Amino acid sequence: MDQLLFAVSTIVVGVFGCVAYFYFSNILLDRLLPASGPNAGANINKANAIRPWLFVLPALLVLGLYLVYPVFSTFFLSMRDTRGAFIGADNYTWLAGDEKFRESLGNNLLWLVIVPAASTFFGLVAAGLTDRIKWGSIAQSLVFMPMAISFVGASVIWKFIYDYRGENQGEQIGLLNAIVEVFGGSAQTWITVPFWNNLFLMIILIWIQTGFAMVILSAALKGISEETIEAAYLDGATPMQIFFKIKIPQIWGTIAVVWTTITVTVLKVFDIVFAMTNGQWGTQVLANLMYDWMFRGSPDFGRGSAIVMVIMLLVTPVMIWNISNAHKENR
Amino acid sequence: MKNAFYASAAALALTVGMAQADGHLKFAPGEGAFSWDSFEALKSMDLSGEEISILGPWLGPDKELIESVVHYFEDATGADVEYSGSDSFEQQIVIDTEAGSPPNIAIFPQPGLAADLASKGLLAPLPAETADWVRDNYAAGQSWVDLGTYAGKDGADALYGFFYKVDVKSLVWYVPENFEDAGYDVPQSMEELKALTDQIVADGGVPWCIGLGSGGATGWPATDWVEDMMLRINTPQDYDAWTKNELAFDDPKVVAAIEEFGAFARNDAYVSGGAGAVATTDFRDSPQGMFASPPQCYMHRQASFIPTFFPEGTEVGVDADFFYFPAYADKDLGKPVLGAGTVWGVTSDSKGAQAFMEFLKSPIAHEIWMAQKGFLTPHKGVNTEVYTDPTVAKMNDILLNADTFRFDGSDLMPGAIGTGVFWTGMVDYAGGKDAGEVAASIQSTWDSIK
Repeated sequence: MDQLLFAVSTIVVGVFGCVAYFYFSNILLDRLLPASGPNAGANINKANAIRPWLFVLPALLVLGLYLVYPVFSTFFLSMRDTRGAFIGADNYTWLAGDEKFRESLGNNLLWLVIVPAASTFFGLVAAGLTDRIKWGSIAQSLVFMPMAISFVGASVIWKFIYDYRGENQGEQIGLLNAIVEVFGGSAQTWITVPFWNNLFLMIILIWIQTGFAMVILSAALKGISEETIEAAYLDGATPMQIFFKIKIPQIWGTIAVVWTTITVTVLKVFDIVFAMTNGQWGTQVLANLMYDWMFRGSPDFGRGSAIVMVIMLLVTPVMIWNISNAHKENR
Repeated sequence: MKNAFYASAAALALTVGMAQADGHLKFAPGEGAFSWDSFEALKSMDLSGEEISILGPWLGPDKELIESVVHYFEDATGADVEYSGSDSFEQQIVIDTEAGSPPNIAIFPQPGLAADLASKGLLAPLPAETADWVRDNYAAGQSWVDLGTYAGKDGADALYGFFYKVDVKSLVWYVPENFEDAGYDVPQSMEELKALTDQIVADGGVPWCIGLGSGGATGWPATDWVEDMMLRINTPQDYDAWTKNELAFDDPKVVAAIEEFGAFARNDAYVSGGAGAVATTDFRDSPQGMFASPPQCYMHRQASFIPTFFPEGTEVGVDADFFYFPAYADKDLGKPVLGAGTVWGVTSDSKGAQAFMEFLKSPIAHEIWMAQKGFLTPHKGVNTEVYTDPTVAKMNDILLNADTFRFDGSDLMPGAIGTGVFWTGMVDYAGGKDAGEVAASIQSTWDSIK
């Protein structure tokens, strides 16, 4: 009950506070720079220059508080040890020499190369195929469905697919092992196979992200002008040629946006690794390594923050490219 | 169909009501061999209106057991105690304390973690007389005091942790019927145990069930194996030095202990499901193999708490029994026992929290759980007649009469090692990595946090 009252009053104060802020700050501006009297012209120009900032200011403050401040705070945390004493770049030199960090970085790069490429490729294929058939929308909603499942939920589903039972521990209940055995192979503990287990984890994210890529790309395909395609038909192009030489070049920008968006998601990948292997058997990734140092056993906020800074440095350029690409698309 | 649904709903409502009616106090005060005077003495504390929150690692059956104990405290004092369990307690308590919303009392499975929080000023010290009380009333009292004493934020040592519910780890579980059918005897030495292991393989059976899976904590059962092996091939002094890293993790003595574990776990013929299944099998599912028909394995090395995960209706002492994980006969190291325990600390001080810690000293707080399932205690003041199960009493004797008693080493190491790279290292080792390589990598992480 208390929480409810608190929430309601917060909403009321927030909403009316905003309205009051805009209303009164406007009045104040008009009072200080009146649109009459000797300097009316100059005042109007000045007021017009200030007014937008008045409206943007609250947003800027909130952004600063929730986005810029944490970045600096994390950066300063990353130069402290477990007891909060300043140790300069020690955490970063530790990072450079740490075996698990190098493993995580390597795995993250693998994820970065494979997942966006595969998701975009499968998404493009799905979009291209479903574009022209009658039951395409049904097929699309099926492909899109995994998008609605949380990463952890998806991991639980795939845990059953990769499940392994030892030789005398009863029948295999894992789908993958069941299939392998039908074809005469022998069951494997999939999530412990070095190197390949990374791929098995990536498949989960590809499974989730393909739907996203497909939806965006199929919208882009629909936006291609019919004239160019008809012209290509008349010139005797095969469907393959039309797809690769007419359609793809026209949606190149969208592909780049989809690719980079998935790339950003991949850089932050945590849930799937945490739920499937917790970084064991050589599948550690940066976000999970950060969680390990930050919260497991004796928490080391310094090292955790240092890893966070690395993740941020990796995400930022991709993010900038992604946003500028999206802008170009909209123009 | 609808009627059947209503009927079962009604039946469910009835059983729930009943469970509440007589489940409140499991054993009627005044009856049985319990120390009821210690229960009556609690009534002098009036805590009505006090709310006490406790966060611990116990879930499922263990949660019901701790709650059955807590009910007596609530009944006697009028306080309102809320226990919540988490299977990622280690992370949860760190998040809660750092975020400034800790429970009143936390139940640490690892003293190392409690020591960490104490050093950051996140634990409240216990009253000064508690240390004397533990020294006088616990068997091997000084060791329990040492294990609960940490340096605070100001660097001064104080008692922060109180041990309640102790586990003996050096146990091998087996099904007596299976042993009888196959004509096997309980081994008295490590040499005999190894001979028995080979014998079982020769007879076409699988000797061991080993499972290291435990969610985010995967790997810990292997650290217990290694610690037990450390105590069986090296001196207790080496063991102590190892937990403090005065003996390097990649010292040949430690690598030898890891390889002793590997001799069992990395042999496809020795373990149920083959060596590949060891790391992925959940430790809670692992003992089930002993009860399968035909048995998937004959032996399972695990601590005293494991009967909680035996199939329902298993009677320890009849359907399942244990023997001491033996020491080498030709090494002069006595009969070492590895153990552990949960250490309780006050994370948010209040009158109620201190009163509850006081309650843990009373014999009744121990006896209620002793009379049920899987509870061992070094408390000398309890009436051991309340043990309903002679085998658990036998286990308590192992605890009280060990030549050497050593606390779980991984719990004594810094968190980043004991609950971090030691676990993952053992998973890597079980997966086929070289023991020396794994040990060296653990040592390098240890070097990095010094």
